[in-house]
Amino acid sequence: MKKGFKFLIFIMIAAMLLSGCSNEKNVAINQKEETVAKEENKEPVEINLQGGDWGYPSPYTHYSRGPGIFKMRLIFDSLLERGEEGLIPWLAESWDISDDGRLYTFKIRQGVKWQDGEPMTAEDVKFSFEYYSKYPPVSDDLGISENNYIEKIEVVDENIIKIQVNEPNATLLERFGTARIIPKHIWSDVDDPTKFTDSKAVIGCGPYILTDYNEEQGAYRFEAFKDYWGPKQKVDVIKFVPVSDSLLAFENGEIDLTGITPDVLSKYENTPQYKVLESPAYWGYKLALNMEKRPEFKDKNLRQALAYAIDKEELVEKVARGAARVGSAGYLPVEHIWYNKNIKQYDFDIDKAKKLLDNKTYNFTLLTGDSNPELRIAELMKINFEKAGINIEVKSVDSKSRDAAIKNGDYEMALNGYGGWGGDPDMLREQYRSKNREKTIFSGIPGYSNEKINKLCEEQLHEMNEEKRKEIVFELQEEIAEEIPQIPIYNTTGYVVFRPEKYDGWKHVFNHHEVTHNKISYLEME
Amino acid sequence: MKKEKLKFSSFSNSGKIAILFMILLIFMAIFSPYICPHPYNLPSGSPFESPNRVHWFGTDDLGIDLFSQICYGARISLSVGISAALIAGIGGGILGILAGYYGGIVDKLIMRIVDIMIVLPDLPMMIILGAFFGPSIKNIIFVLAFFSWTGPARIIRSKVLSMKKENYILVAESYGAGFGYLLFKHFIPEILPILMVTIIKLTSKAIVAEAGLAFLGLGDPTSKSWGLILNHAINFRGIYFTDFWKWWVMTPLIAIIFLVLSIAIISRDLEKILNEKL
Repeated sequence: MKKGFKFLIFIMIAAMLLSGCSNEKNVAINQKEETVAKEENKEPVEINLQGGDWGYPSPYTHYSRGPGIFKMRLIFDSLLERGEEGLIPWLAESWDISDDGRLYTFKIRQGVKWQDGEPMTAEDVKFSFEYYSKYPPVSDDLGISENNYIEKIEVVDENIIKIQVNEPNATLLERFGTARIIPKHIWSDVDDPTKFTDSKAVIGCGPYILTDYNEEQGAYRFEAFKDYWGPKQKVDVIKFVPVSDSLLAFENGEIDLTGITPDVLSKYENTPQYKVLESPAYWGYKLALNMEKRPEFKDKNLRQALAYAIDKEELVEKVARGAARVGSAGYLPVEHIWYNKNIKQYDFDIDKAKKLLDNKTYNFTLLTGDSNPELRIAELMKINFEKAGINIEVKSVDSKSRDAAIKNGDYEMALNGYGGWGGDPDMLREQYRSKNREKTIFSGIPGYSNEKINKLCEEQLHEMNEEKRKEIVFELQEEIAEEIPQIPIYNTTGYVVFRPEKYDGWKHVFNHHEVTHNKISYLEME
Repeated sequence: MKKEKLKFSSFSNSGKIAILFMILLIFMAIFSPYICPHPYNLPSGSPFESPNRVHWFGTDDLGIDLFSQICYGARISLSVGISAALIAGIGGGILGILAGYYGGIVDKLIMRIVDIMIVLPDLPMMIILGAFFGPSIKNIIFVLAFFSWTGPARIIRSKVLSMKKENYILVAESYGAGFGYLLFKHFIPEILPILMVTIIKLTSKAIVAEAGLAFLGLGDPTSKSWGLILNHAINFRGIYFTDFWKWWVMTPLIAIIFLVLSIAIISRDLEKILNEKL
């Protein structure tokens, strides 16, 4: 009998291991919630958010996805900032663009200090832009390392800077406005910025100072910068803590904000203790096709067949649980201000897909990350692709390996999800024009080149008239939808929930879906 | 040394139930295409139907019938478990016999490898190898076998060592019996029952390990093994704040527990019966 007992115990342990620690955590929830409630209304305001390692937050060492970028941006300010409606003056008090669109004049704010006490001047701005042309940062807003459009940067006096560019370009204000300003006195003798991980590398003039970073745990701690020039910080300490399940951690009071699915929405809606915000659909999944690796994808019929064979409605309903918008074939999501609704639609239609394939069959490998939604999307896509005669082998790896494989062009088809779909329509150029050298995780279609798309991409870039540019972008979307060189699947909306008693300042900026990823959520904006 | 047939009646009551359950499960696994009313890999209902007459165990997030998934998953769990255990048992057994019979340098070499394998923590290593070789059922079987052969090797070696000192072996040897003769005439009949018990034990270990690896996301992502069903269920955001876990998490979990439990009971009974005989 003793043996039997041992087995029983063994099995129980195995069962407990398998079922996770969920039960224990459930018990702990109620106790912790009470203590959190009591601790409220205490100064200073300290908020905890979901952690994870997104790299050391210097402009050269953070990881190139949203959570890495915005942590760096908490430390480093830029000339302009993203507000709720559009770009707002930040380090630049005011600016002027000449009529020919080639001269930009910025008036830099006075009395701005770096976090080490040195004053920030127009010299730093000049230095930053020049430095970026030599060493492109991870989040390369300027994009001048490949093709330097800046002819001359002139510091008129301490506060005025003039930038002369070689041709008019509709995206430049945003590019100049969002490029981070780095201190000249620190970076001027740095030759290998990607290796520069000194504590000096995270001195900026932004509202928060990095006080602690733990790579292994993925924990960060940011503290308000006392001598900050700008709006007062409403949050004194921002902490990123490691959590396993964000919803459980939120219930536990370990973090103060989390994203939720519609299934649990009813639990938080209409409860005064919680507040729910719906996010705009600026985060999306797309199916990337590597035409260098598999030249078959150069066949437009195959691409259209793939687009017809994806049941996007089903994916939205099942994987996103309804909290998403079906992706637009023209890339710009349906909630984008310049979305063209008259483009070709690819409603799910297996027969059409079969007709386009003309009885040919194909075999492809589909690379995905290992998160649940990605695997589920892959699974459902596989079922329908097979009905159309396209056999898919799903290969799932962790998300960082997936990103690396995409960057190196080491895939046939890849499922990729990322944010920023609400940005300037110039992203169409980033996505669809033919590119040879530079590849990023998010954009560029290896081996694809279409003259008309290339031409329209350039035209919209240099068109300074808003109305005319809009027309070009609309035409571009039509062209892209017809060509469908990559297939947008859906753009998630989703919800975030937080406890307003703890902190109630969360806001969306005009082009981003995450309330935590912008500066104004943490600052006292009038 | 008389061979006796194993009788069903010599099992304890719990053992009988366990055997019946195993037979049922094997039956389910083999004939799953015929007994399952729904496909295991295609949606057949709306997402998250609670258990009902059409979908006996309910459906998952994609609307795929869970009963069919469990039936089909039994195939994977059983085939992974049994083949990994067979490879490990037979491979380990052969190495054990070689080590025990020849002794000397062969013995030392094999036993040092065994020592190294025992020192390696197997779960972390399995996770690394699983990640390294990429997720597929073949790799999982290979990895599991690779980490389980040491047990049978050690047991068989000690058995062979003790047998070598028995008089009848010494006599046979003095009459010029070679390794092959001894192996088939004496060693294998003697070793087989022990090996069988070890293999059965390894099976349950392999099933749990496969479920564990699949649960951690190292299984074939599109297969429908029990561990993977659990993986999908638990990684569904906020599953414990919905009702879905009641059928989505519980059915694969119960299936794993019952399977492992019945294998454990069978191997316990088998050990008892064989011990009495030896």
